[in-house]
Amino acid sequence: MSTIGLKHFGGKRSLLHKKKHAPSEEMSLNITAMADIFTVILVFLLKSYATSALDISPTAGLKLPTAGANDTLEEATRVEISENAILVDGTPIVALKTFQFQPQDVESNQSSKQLAKEFKRLRDRQLLIAKANSDVKVDAKLIVVSDQRVPYASLKTVLASAALNGYTDFKLAVVKND
Amino acid sequence: MGSVNLPGGDGGGQDFELNLAPIIDCLVVLITFMLASATFLSIGILDAGISAGGATTTATTPPSIVVTVELKKDFQMQLRVEGKETLTVPIGSSAPANAGASSQWNMPELVQKIRGLRQKYADFGALTIQGDNQLEYREFVTVMDSLRKEIPVVMLGGF
Repeated sequence: MSTIGLKHFGGKRSLLHKKKHAPSEEMSLNITAMADIFTVILVFLLKSYATSALDISPTAGLKLPTAGANDTLEEATRVEISENAILVDGTPIVALKTFQFQPQDVESNQSSKQLAKEFKRLRDRQLLIAKANSDVKVDAKLIVVSDQRVPYASLKTVLASAALNGYTDFKLAVVKND
Repeated sequence: MGSVNLPGGDGGGQDFELNLAPIIDCLVVLITFMLASATFLSIGILDAGISAGGATTTATTPPSIVVTVELKKDFQMQLRVEGKETLTVPIGSSAPANAGASSQWNMPELVQKIRGLRQKYADFGALTIQGDNQLEYREFVTVMDSLRKEIPVVMLGGF
């Protein structure tokens, strides 16, 4: 029987010495192509990486209005108007309720008490630095990063508070729609 | 792993292996950093000053005319001219571009009137926009953006 079996399978010798393909444990991965892909992606990201003196990153939920603006960003004090707060250089100063100021915070000259106090503090610091260092000039620029849904009344309050403390050159941050 | 076989002077080859794994690691880290820090928004700047009481803040001599554009609710506008010429022109909203869309500011008519004033008065270079307190900021930006193409200085007023 075994012989027949062996014969059927080509003989005893061939069964015993039948080559078995050992399972391969090594898998070669062609990572040269992967390196090419990564290099191309990196070059693209580097090219589109925005490097400027000032990086404006609106907070989550803040929608900037769109406009065909061409002016470039410059380093300046930044005020951000969102639904729940006004931030000056990233620090929350005034709490808002649905883009509106609290009535007790708004004075007769349309400025906000808390905001005016903060602008005054920043201004005094600028003046102090400019006095000590003749190379530093007092800057009247203010970048306004405001949500597009802000009512004009609230915007006026912010601008009035800034203007009363020497910030008269307003730069409105918008999303380019080119 | 890359392998290069360089011919030697006396016929012998020089093999060296380029280990791509650390390079891939660096590229992955760099790409992850760039993707995490990239902002795909292109942000621009609109220059705006404020006008208190309709007077220009930068002019040394008073201009011939002082022009104010007042934005009202329901996309109605009013063009006011004071000075050598006194004029108040209401500008109604324009028809919606698409069926079902809301009305919009009648910018073509406003721009036409501004152009007429510029042709008439050579020193007319600034105007003020003011509006209803409940109007949203984006409406002012829209009007400012259109007017900036016609006139160099556009200020916000109503203070």
